[in-house]
Amino acid sequence: LLGATAIEDKLQEGVPETIALLSLANIKIWVLTGDKQTAVNIGYSCKMLTDDMTEVFIIGGHTVQSVRQELGSKQLHCSSLPPSASGDMDSISGEFALIISGHSLAHALEADMEAEFVSTACACKAVICCRVTPLQKAQVVELIKKHKKAVTLAIGDGANDVSMIKAHIGVGISGQEGIQAVLASDYSFAQFRFLQRLLLVHGRWSYLRMCRFLCYFFYKNFAFTMVHFWFGFFCGFSAQTVYDQFFITLYNIVYTSLPVLAMGVFDQVITELYEPGQLNLLFNKKEFFICITQGIYTSVVLFFVPYAVLSDATQSNGVPLADYQTFAVTTATALVIVVTGFWTVFNHMFVWGSVGSYFTIMFALHSQTLFRIFPNAQNTLLQPVVWLTIALATAVCVVPVLAFRFLKLDLKPQLSDTVSVSEGRLGARGGSRRSGYAFSHQEGFGELITSGKNMRLSSLALANFASKHSSSWIE
Amino acid sequence: MVKEEQEESSNRPDNTAFTQQRLPAWQPILSASIVIPMFLLIGAAFIGVGVALFITSRDIQLQELDYTGDDSEHPCFKCRTNTEKCTCSMTFSIPTLFKGPVFFYYGLTNYFQNQRKYGASKDDNQLYGDLDYFTNPSTDCDPYTRDSKNMPIVPCGALANSMFNDSFSLSHTVNGVQKIVPLDGKGIAWWTDYNIKYRNPTLNSVFFSGTKKPTNWPKPIYELDTTDVYNNGFINQDFLVWMRRAALPDFRKLYRRITHDDYADGLPAGNYTLTIAYNYPVHSFNGKKKVVLSNVSWMGGKNDFLGIAYIVVGSMCVVMSVVMLIVYARFKFAEDV
Repeated sequence: LLGATAIEDKLQEGVPETIALLSLANIKIWVLTGDKQTAVNIGYSCKMLTDDMTEVFIIGGHTVQSVRQELGSKQLHCSSLPPSASGDMDSISGEFALIISGHSLAHALEADMEAEFVSTACACKAVICCRVTPLQKAQVVELIKKHKKAVTLAIGDGANDVSMIKAHIGVGISGQEGIQAVLASDYSFAQFRFLQRLLLVHGRWSYLRMCRFLCYFFYKNFAFTMVHFWFGFFCGFSAQTVYDQFFITLYNIVYTSLPVLAMGVFDQVITELYEPGQLNLLFNKKEFFICITQGIYTSVVLFFVPYAVLSDATQSNGVPLADYQTFAVTTATALVIVVTGFWTVFNHMFVWGSVGSYFTIMFALHSQTLFRIFPNAQNTLLQPVVWLTIALATAVCVVPVLAFRFLKLDLKPQLSDTVSVSEGRLGARGGSRRSGYAFSHQEGFGELITSGKNMRLSSLALANFASKHSSSWIE
Repeated sequence: MVKEEQEESSNRPDNTAFTQQRLPAWQPILSASIVIPMFLLIGAAFIGVGVALFITSRDIQLQELDYTGDDSEHPCFKCRTNTEKCTCSMTFSIPTLFKGPVFFYYGLTNYFQNQRKYGASKDDNQLYGDLDYFTNPSTDCDPYTRDSKNMPIVPCGALANSMFNDSFSLSHTVNGVQKIVPLDGKGIAWWTDYNIKYRNPTLNSVFFSGTKKPTNWPKPIYELDTTDVYNNGFINQDFLVWMRRAALPDFRKLYRRITHDDYADGLPAGNYTLTIAYNYPVHSFNGKKKVVLSNVSWMGGKNDFLGIAYIVVGSMCVVMSVVMLIVYARFKFAEDV
């Protein structure tokens, strides 16, 4: 023996922690790799496979029958354990891992077996597919997309990952292996550990912002439009608008767009788990219904409070219609102030800027130069009764919401209040039997090397497995 | 290798607080120590304002006289079916001094001035004195644009055509003698309507020669007030008051003020007679007509609702804060146990 060479393909920094965190967030992680025997060691070194998993299944059959039989037996094994309450294969008690090699995968992806394969694979906490070709990577992703109502994300760094990156979200890692993956992807960054921030921070914020934005948008338009509905009862249903024409035009564009944008761009959440996004908790039919109901309640307040107050004429004769628009926008803006959960300097600027712009525009439009077009609103805003009515309507809209939220916090605390992150789960585990490096290492190869034969091992390297099938592995 | 680094630094996004979403921010957290005192404060403030409003409103005096004449015993009953000029008079008494300045309103119920087509039926250009629109009024006014002989109507439209034309006079019975209470009709319309929105062409009847008065008017527009040129034509105050559409079907419009001579301080207690030239028919749509006498304060006319609403909302805030305190205390103790 003159010497030995070893090639070290180190895992990036932070990969095990990232994977541990993502699996805590209820995200299933599959590894699809072209590597052979290193795949299992990689699985252990990045904490996908752990020592205390209940069982690790291997599917390595070469023929259709053997693959089918192996799949069947694994499934039986899984289902023989007491299932969880939901009865769904995904939440079976006990942790399993599945390792399947490329040639078995080719059989398992056939039409008649794919459903079985998917259900078995999804019952496992971790799935490693090794020796997969780029085409098979894409096929696996397609399979999941087809059979499961889940969002898929594919992350890779090499040219062989490009076909896989057509998952719902494709992430490319720009690194040593060139930039083909980056070019084909939706997001790209340089290190795998950034995935954690992408998903758990930006992804969560993005979902939250979308939901709040949508809710708020529907709310403000309902509040705005339903006032006309109530007014219809009092104007002979003649479709007379309550607000001034220009107000209607400017409402969505100028007066209320910026606070919404600010919310959509800057909103953040301090403590919440990832589950709301996965379970579609923040914007579903019930939430939508709640936000519509709030809009209707606001519109009732915005119409009937001024109606009741102004039924009796004020000092100037008649009831200027312009009053309604003052109330509507001021109250709606007041509500934005409460609903905006997270204030930055831009939020301040946008909210107060919108209110300010409303008053500026109104005074400008109602000034004497543009006078012939618009009736005068200067009269109305100079009267204390008007401001008192605005304050009353605002309070009646805002105060119940505040009280309700406060009571909800106490009576039905969210997950974030009750979950205490235990350090044991997230911290790095104590050393495992497997080393941090991915060696193609098993007993008995020393002889092969010393015997001088030129060989390539074409499958996984689990110690017990090798001892059973050593002969068939050697090409 | 150097090139790669340079490329990297040009692709690298800015590390500012804005782009990295690290803006300093404030998140209102609804903690008990903030919410409960805040509710108490709001509640107390609202109750305070409500009480002030209510007391002020209580001091405002209001007197309403319905003169539709639906009841057969009513003095104006005879005028209901009369198509010609009819005058009726009603007596009423004021128990205590009605503090001045007193405002005299006429009120209509079930009258939808806020109906869309009705309210849009006018020609603003005509009312601004633009002579082109005298000969050719806008089609917004249909069917009140031209009369049966196809002559243009000035002012055109349903809104102008339906102008309220009852007139009133008030007299005070003093020692058996009827003393007329002077009514002041100046400045009852919006300043901007009077000075800017409505303008007369030179009140030369030449300009009005090719035009006709609205169908239901007794006199043409340039004869509304022949004694005062500043109250004639389109800038007639009663006309302007009428054209300023009311928002709700039960409304009041200012008719006159009582501010002159002996009555500048108000209407003393006693008996009064209201004489009405009953011209305006309302019974076909079940409408009612009334006269309202009122004085005002800093918060406008009598408005009990505002005071009561403030008190109600204020007390509900206080009740809510107590409820929240109980809930919070219960949960806190439950947690601690």
